Amino acid sequence: MKRLFLAVICLALIVYFLPVSSLAEEKVLLMATTTSTDNTGLLDYLIPKFKEATGIEVKWTATGTGKALKLGENCDVDILMVHAPAAEKKFVADGFGVDRREIMYNDFVIIGPAADPAALKGKSIKDALQAIKAQQAIFASRGDNSGTHKKELSLWKAAELPVPEKETWYVQTGQGMLATINIAAERSGYTMTDRGTYIKYEDNLKGNPPLKILVEGDAALLNQYSVIAVNPKHCAKAKYDLATQFSEWIAGAEAQQLIKDFKLLGKQLFTPNAKM
Amino acid sequence: MDTPIYEIRSLNHSYAGKIVLSIEHLTVQPASIVGLVGPNGSGKSSLLRLLGLIERPTQGKILFNGRLVEPFSDEARFQVTLLPQEPFLMKRNVLNNVSYGLKLRGNGMDVGQRAKEALSLVGLPFKDFVRRPWSALSGGEAQRVALAARLALKPKVLLLDEPTASVDAASAQLIKEASLRARQELGTTLIIASHDWQWLYEICDAILHLFKGRIFGTGRETIIFGPWQKLGTEKWGKILSDGQRLLVPAPPNQEAAAVIDVWFVSEDGSTIAGEDIVLGGTVSRLSLERKTGQLFAAILVGDLSFTVELTSQQGKEHTLFPGKTIFIRYRLDQIKWI
Amino acid sequence: MNFLLEGFFQAFDLLLSGNAETYSAIWATVTVSSYSIGSSLLIGIPLGFCLGYFDFRGKKPLRTIVDTMMALPTVFIGLLVYAFLTHRGPLGNFALLFTLPGIAIGQTILALPIVIGLSATAVESLDPKLRITIMSMGANRRQLFISSLWEARHGILAGAIAAYGRVMTEVGISMMVGGNIKWHTRTITTAIALETNKGQFGMGVALGLVLLAIAFAVNVSVSFLRRRD
Repeated sequence: MKRLFLAVICLALIVYFLPVSSLAEEKVLLMATTTSTDNTGLLDYLIPKFKEATGIEVKWTATGTGKALKLGENCDVDILMVHAPAAEKKFVADGFGVDRREIMYNDFVIIGPAADPAALKGKSIKDALQAIKAQQAIFASRGDNSGTHKKELSLWKAAELPVPEKETWYVQTGQGMLATINIAAERSGYTMTDRGTYIKYEDNLKGNPPLKILVEGDAALLNQYSVIAVNPKHCAKAKYDLATQFSEWIAGAEAQQLIKDFKLLGKQLFTPNAKM
Repeated sequence: MDTPIYEIRSLNHSYAGKIVLSIEHLTVQPASIVGLVGPNGSGKSSLLRLLGLIERPTQGKILFNGRLVEPFSDEARFQVTLLPQEPFLMKRNVLNNVSYGLKLRGNGMDVGQRAKEALSLVGLPFKDFVRRPWSALSGGEAQRVALAARLALKPKVLLLDEPTASVDAASAQLIKEASLRARQELGTTLIIASHDWQWLYEICDAILHLFKGRIFGTGRETIIFGPWQKLGTEKWGKILSDGQRLLVPAPPNQEAAAVIDVWFVSEDGSTIAGEDIVLGGTVSRLSLERKTGQLFAAILVGDLSFTVELTSQQGKEHTLFPGKTIFIRYRLDQIKWI
Repeated sequence: MNFLLEGFFQAFDLLLSGNAETYSAIWATVTVSSYSIGSSLLIGIPLGFCLGYFDFRGKKPLRTIVDTMMALPTVFIGLLVYAFLTHRGPLGNFALLFTLPGIAIGQTILALPIVIGLSATAVESLDPKLRITIMSMGANRRQLFISSLWEARHGILAGAIAAYGRVMTEVGISMMVGGNIKWHTRTITTAIALETNKGQFGMGVALGLVLLAIAFAVNVSVSFLRRRD
């Protein structure tokens, strides 16, 4: 009994130290991205092709935009793929990132109950937000400092309306996009989501969701994605050359075409717009 | 005269600031049997632990074979063993309990054989008991196994703390016999704390009376505890269950105990001299003190038991037998207080 | 509600079809919890034993601290460990962030107070007659220590099981320190968090049941060990 016990411990110790040694050698690129990007499945589709082309393995962690930027600042990752242009520009200005490159965009939409009590259908985003405020219609917000949330806040500002912080009809969920949509659906309210998540939501409910797209196409609803390499001057250990290879590849003709061809449940999700 | 196996000098042992033992001088001869009697809390267990070389005295010296010996030293480990009050075994089967100490000594002795011998000494058949887990034994069986574990070590000194207290009668008998055999066959020194006065009187070379951490007397006196009542002007004592009055001089405090030396027994209850107090009682026990040939009688007066030492001559004279009515006498001015 | 039933059937499907992502998560969970339990037992049992066995000044306050640390929230530990392991932190050079060993460090911190506290209790509950018995049999200090440890094994095992439960089911540390990276540091618990976040409740339930099955298997083997004692 005692010997068996000791043997198990020794075995465990051996197994413990094995993997730590093997980490160092291969070409590995660490990326921070957002949960909504990851949830579309785009990276699962693109990254293997990148590995085929360059032999570089990419490990990515998906968090909120705020945390992704923080990870970059702390030198915990080598490259970022996020969609919060104002915050990204500040990130570069602060010296944490370099080579910011726009690669693709999709859009945000306002969704709500089919009955549409606030009569948003067909309005511009500015008019829609004003209608929501006037009607005090239930509106679910991410409330979590994510790219989506920052976008939403900028839209309130553009509509010359104060952010409805303490209003009872403004529901700040502090959670991910799907959770927020579900909460909006439970309360028969409105919310703003990226198209990719909406397509998934629609599919989850077998094509007949309680919330439908009511406002779309407004230029202000554009959701721009970029990659930013972590600044090697700020982070000595950042794998700048691998990051550059990724940045150039994803802006290249092949990857841009792949992005265009990426369909979520039969619908195109992103529009490539990298300038080469 | 050989070196005493134990010599205690100026011992003052305390726990948590309280003194539990205070012994100026004590020796124990090798291969002797010493009894320890006293009420609970008198320090018997502490003394046994010190003699067992398991603890170091807070003040004073205990010499073992004339030398100062520390706990965990080789002499302490391999020559002295203590059987604690209440049966206790380690959480393993009988064989492993008995052979634990043997395995510690290494040197390739036949562990199985020694274990078998030890178990048979306490009346436990090897085949039935060897694989039994500790939880499947009765109190008496467990105590016997614990004793066997110690006997298997063939120790020089065996200390027993109330070995027959929480045990059934059959086991108690086996335990007594096994302990004696160790002394007979191996010359083991036995130091036994027990409430079984009769057994101790039968087998011991010397009996130590322990009270509040002090040793006094030879165990031949009777100790009566407080509280005390004032029974009249200048008269103190107790009223016994049969109405008789036990008189004592004024006690120093209510907790003091009186040491009474019964100096005479007679079959008639009349007073001889003015200072004598006479009490009537029944003989409850008679024992023979092996070494001296003296008789010990325990006489029940009310609910108190008085110890009297008699020569066998006196025994014949009064034809003492248990159940006989007899009168005891003691002198008021000879009473000591502790 | 029907995602509960859906999840139940999905659990079987995932396991029997050899779903690669699920098995990768299982492997990650089993690996990282083994590391954590292994190290916390190796460090914690001797420390807990000493805490229970010896008397020293500050014993009571130390015990209170250990008991309080049993209630450390996992996200808090995750945050602390992240602060140390991040590249800009003191241990950044070891590149442990986003790795399984990194998570294991955090989980060890989680498990240690439990192991220490319960081992100390087990030792304190030892009968004082044990010491007398073992010393009478002729043990030296080292043998006394080891034999006492062995006698306390049941209580210590209870501590190990409690620690194991806590470690296997935590999310906060795995998420913050591991980063939930697919194929590498995605454990069952972080996968559940992800799936529920994506709205895939059925999948979340399925993975939860898989975790339960693993915990059950481990406890069955432990009880088998116990019975033989």
